[in-house]
Formats: sequence, C-alpha cells, structure tokens
Amino acid sequence: MHLRLENVTKRFDGRVAVDRLSLEVPPGVIFGVIGPNGAGKTTTIRMILNIIAPDEGQVYFNDRPVDGSFRDRVGYLPEERGLYKKMTLREVIVYMAELKGYPRRRAEAELGAWLERMELASYLDRKVEELSKGMAQKLQFVTTILHKPEFVILDELFSGLDPLNVELIKNILLELKRSGTTILFSTHVMEQAEKLCDHICMISHGKKVLDGTISDIKSRFGHNSVRINFAGDASFIRSLPGVRAMTEFTNYVELDLDGTVTPPSLLREIAGRVEISRFEVMEPSLYDIFIDLARVDPSEVRPAGGRSDG
Amino acid sequence: MAKLLTILKREYAQIVKKKSFIIMTLLTPAMMAAFMVVPALFATRDVAGGEAVAILDRDTLGIGEALAEELTEYTTETTGQPAFRIAPVITLPPADSAGYRRIRDSLVQAIRNERVKYLIEIFPEAPLSDTNLLLVTNSDNFKSAARFEHRLTRVLSRIRLEQANVNLPVDSILALTRRVELHSQDTKGESIPTEIKLYAGFIFVLLIYMMIVIHGTALMRSVIEEKSNRIVEVLVSSVTPFQLMAGKIVGMGASSLTQVAIWIAVGLGIMAYSGSLGVDLNSPAARVAFDPLIVLAFTLFFVVGYLFYSVYFAFIGSIVNSDKESQNFLWPVVLCLMIPVIFATAVIQDPNATWIRVLSFLPPFAPTMMVLRVVFIAPTVTGLSLMSNIALEALVSLIILILTTVAAIWLTARVFRVGILMYGKRPTLPEIARWVRHA
Repeated sequence: MHLRLENVTKRFDGRVAVDRLSLEVPPGVIFGVIGPNGAGKTTTIRMILNIIAPDEGQVYFNDRPVDGSFRDRVGYLPEERGLYKKMTLREVIVYMAELKGYPRRRAEAELGAWLERMELASYLDRKVEELSKGMAQKLQFVTTILHKPEFVILDELFSGLDPLNVELIKNILLELKRSGTTILFSTHVMEQAEKLCDHICMISHGKKVLDGTISDIKSRFGHNSVRINFAGDASFIRSLPGVRAMTEFTNYVELDLDGTVTPPSLLREIAGRVEISRFEVMEPSLYDIFIDLARVDPSEVRPAGGRSDG
Repeated sequence: MAKLLTILKREYAQIVKKKSFIIMTLLTPAMMAAFMVVPALFATRDVAGGEAVAILDRDTLGIGEALAEELTEYTTETTGQPAFRIAPVITLPPADSAGYRRIRDSLVQAIRNERVKYLIEIFPEAPLSDTNLLLVTNSDNFKSAARFEHRLTRVLSRIRLEQANVNLPVDSILALTRRVELHSQDTKGESIPTEIKLYAGFIFVLLIYMMIVIHGTALMRSVIEEKSNRIVEVLVSSVTPFQLMAGKIVGMGASSLTQVAIWIAVGLGIMAYSGSLGVDLNSPAARVAFDPLIVLAFTLFFVVGYLFYSVYFAFIGSIVNSDKESQNFLWPVVLCLMIPVIFATAVIQDPNATWIRVLSFLPPFAPTMMVLRVVFIAPTVTGLSLMSNIALEALVSLIILILTTVAAIWLTARVFRVGILMYGKRPTLPEIARWVRHA
C-alpha cells in the first residue's frame, strides 16, 4: 500500500502537535519516522490510522483519502502496550484477528506457528497476565501481524526487548518486507532506524526536518567532516579554502568542511606539506545529523532537507 | 456489524463466566422463594406459646385480672393457639410506691432480656382518665397494641357503666356498643396485605438497582481496563469507537437478559408445577409475583433502564483514568435508583400522587419508580392488568426512557471516542461540551 500525507496539521488546545507534515511512504519499504519523544510521532500515526482526523490536510492510502475501509488492511502496534490480562493467549490472538475481519478459523490455524516462532507455544492456553513483559510484547507483535496486513505501523517496537528478541523480530520484519508489506517504524532510537530502515523521516516539534533514503541522507550530510592524523605543523590547514572550522587534538585534527571542497582534493592539497598517517572521511550517524538539524529552527533547514512539497 | 458481534460476544462471555453473575442468577430465585415463604413465617411466629404480656395493676378494681381474661380470647390465625401468654398480673396497693418501683424495674429488665414482650401498666384511679395507662415494649406491633387498646376500653367501660348506675344491664350495653372490626379489600375484591406489596416492591426495585449497579460498574471497569492497558489504541484502529461502545453495552445487556430469561423460566416452571411443588398461586405473594403486568414492566424497565444507565457508565469510564476515580461518579446512580425505596411508604399510600407520577416518567427515576408503582397498583386492577391505566402510563414512561437512551448514546459516542484516548487529566465539562460539538 502506498501512503501519502499532504500538509497534515493537528492542534490540541491551541498547541500545534503536527505542523503541515507531508510525506510519502512507497510500497514495500521499511520507513522510519524518527524524532524525540513529544515530536508528534504518535499523533501522526493516529491520523494515519484514522483514529483522529487532521485539522488540515489529508492522509491518502493508494491515492484515496483514508477512511474506515483501510482498517482491516493495517496492523498497529502502539507504543503503550497492553492486552486483556484475563484472557488466554489463544483467545486474545483470535479476538484481535477477528476485530481485523480475519476469519476465526484461519486465525486459530495459524496462531500455533507464530507462537512457536516466538517461543510462546507452551503458553497457548495460559492467561496473558502470566507472561513477562518481553513475552507480552512478542505476543502483541503477533496480534499486530497475524491478519496479514499490507501496511504495518510499529511504534517504538523494540523498547523493552532483549537483544535476542530484537534479532528475532527484526528477521520477521525483513521477511514481511520481502513479501511486499510496507512497514512504518517509529522510534526515538536513531541507531535502530539506521540499521533497519530504507527510508527515514525526521520529525521535531511536529515539523518534518528531513526525509529521504538512508544513503541519500548520508551522502547529503555525510562528507562535511574529516579527521586527519599527521606529524608536523598543520596550522596552515585552518586557512585553506573550504574549511569551515578545525578542532585540534594532540595527534589529530578534525575539520568541518563547508561543501565547496571535496575530501579528495583536500587530501591532495595537504598531502605534500605534512606527513599524514591517517585520513578519514567521517560518516555522521543519523543521531548526529538529527542533533545538528533539530538544534536549528526546522523551518530553516526544510528547504535543504528533503522534499518541500508543501 | 460482524465486528460489533465479535465485541459483543467477548463482553458477554466475560460476564457470564464471572462468579458474581452466577451468584446473582441463583440468588434471585432464592429471594423470590423467600418472598413466598416469609409471610408464612410471620404467621407461624405467633405460635410459640404466645407473646408474653406482664400486667402491673396499681388500681383496686381488678382491671388487670379482667384484661388478662379478655386477652386469652385471642388466638393465632394459623394454629388457633393463644396469641398472648399472661406473664404475671401483679396487683399493688396504690400507696406502695417503693414496691412499685422495685417490681417495675424488674419487669423492665425482663423486657430488656426479652423474657417479657409487653408490660401494661394500670395507674391508680385508671377509670377516671383515658390516659392513666401505659404500654411498655421495645418492639412496636400495631396489631397487638390495637388489641390491648380494644380490650382495655372494654374493661374500663364496664367499670364506668357499673359505677354510673345505669338502668340497663351492663352486659347488654357492652354488647350493644361493641367495637366493629373493619376488614379491607381492594376494588378487585381481594386483600393483598400492605406488607406483601411493600416487600414485593422492594425486591423488584432492589433487583433492578443491583443489576444496574453491578453490571454498570463492570462495564465502566472494562472501559477503564482497556483505557489504562492501552488496548484501546489497538481497538480503535480496528473498530469505530461507536462499535466498541455499542458492542460492550449490548453484550452486557444480553448477559442481563440471559439472567432475566432464567428467572422467568424458573417462574414459569413454578407456575406449571405449582401443584406438586405445593405453591399456592392464589396466595397474595404469588398473585403479585406472577402478575403479567408486573413481570413485563420489571423485564422491560430492567433492560431499558440498564441500557440508559450503561451509557452513563460508559461515559464515566471513558473520561476517568482509574477505578478509584470512577467511584466518585457512582452516587448519582445510587441516589436516583434508591429514591423510590426511600419514599416507598409515601408511594404505597398514594401511588398516583402528582410528584410520584412525575418521578415515574423522568428517565433517571423511571426504572425503579415506575416498577414500584406498577407493583403497588397492578394487583388491584380489575380485568386484564395489561390493558389498564397504569399499563398505559408504564408504556409512555418506557417510550420516554427509550428515546432518552437513544439520545444519550448518540451524545456519549462523541465523548467516548475522544475520552478513551485521553490519558492523565480528566476533562472539564466545557471540554466535554466541545467534544460533543466538534465530533
């Protein structure tokens, strides 16, 4: 399914939670929505799910304005987890699947394999309240995807999971992706998004700061920082064209380039004048990029970062 | 629709499996059975040798002895045993005030210890005044008190007549002026005792009250559970808030209907096998319990009243964050439903008084007030009670209640969809009004 948001705005009591947000999620990708807590991620998700209506703008699925008819084709794992404590795992899974319009029989036939995979098979007829937090999380993940949704929204999926389970679920996500499912993955942990997502959208204070594919973003923001280990007097480097700033350490310097010079030409420039033992183009993490971008007024970085179709 | 049914089924199953549901379902026929049996118990209570009456006579004319004689004439209705046991007649000279104090103290003590039930004191020169008499007891029984009054009047009249030297024989005067006994019956020619009607009214009202409060709070809890567990986030991404609310309310309603159906089945069973069960269908209690209008009014007001209040409970569940917080919103329900019980004696004296009539048409009070009126009035209706005035009034009240419920569902659905996704702060009334307008 193809999701598109056009200039979506939502206010709560005069406070703007989501501000003219536009984005496009192509089918079959893992799309990361990243941003700190309170950035407007959950509100955006609720508008995508048609739980709340935007004050302005429109959400489209497959170029049709979103309405209740898409409910059954979407799976949603909210940030705040919870299931009926007094029901058994079997009952909960079947109930949640039925609420998505998935036939009861098929749900009953398929739940065994999922629980097996999640190492929860022995709990099939036990009550949800007997599960540990991590187990309950895996169970909820099963209820999110059992009805074979075409579009899955996962809000802070990995919070509270140990590394083994993270690996387990990550593999399932990749399988889902291969089978054509579109996954919208929201998190405030940038490293996760970086490892998993094809496409990223950064939100801060309800506004889009940046969006694009990971490689896109890195190539756009990645080459402005260089570290050089050397022997000799390097003070001349500071005054070279294209160098915005230089931080000196005992054995190396870090250069901040302004984009008018490429690292290779810079290397040529200084290679003959000091003895270089190491020259490294530093790739900033998404985290660095985000911190960098979010610190300035998002409206200023908007034209530079990503499409500005609004 | 299929999803509504899915929710409905889950809610229904959740309730029907609960212990409280099973207990209530079984308890009610037991209460009804008690209702049939208890009046009989009242009657048999007189038997055990009669109620102990002590008489302390400080006059010199033998009034105490004469009264004791008169009281032995009373027997209980069921067994024919003496109704009173004279535990002793003590006669004292009027001047012996020290002796009087001592004996009176010991008799009062005997009443406290429940060895004696009544102490009738006859003061010196009793015939000269109508107030030189006293009844001491800790358990007022109008019937016994009336009997004492009646017989004392007779004894004193005899003495007064003898002292007045009239020309006619005293006995014939007494016979000519003897007191009448007024029995009462309703326009149908039957006499259903007031206690039976009151007791039946209380049972029906209490059942409605308990069911609404028990199922209503369960509904409220289940909304709060979904809200506090955040299950609601997933739910509203799968179904509409209206489907969710309607599924819950109807599911719970279906469970309470199941309960009523079981009771009615038990009732019909009792009717069908009344002979072999030894139940007298013509007893006053049975006539009230099996009156078609009463049964119908109870069922309908119970179901619709439940729906009406469940909307309120769903609304409260959606705006609060915890069980504890929700308790603050329970009292209006309790108050509205219990008002008929609080004013039950006024209602039975005049079930058609204007203010009582008005209350029985107002939706919050109707489920209990109208049922109470029906219980008091329906047994007195001649002909088929379903065609009577009170049946018409009940129908109008029911229609008002249904229309109000529909409006309430419509309004509440708008608050519900916003409320269930609000955590933390409880919304203020103006905020809720805004949700209704903007939904």
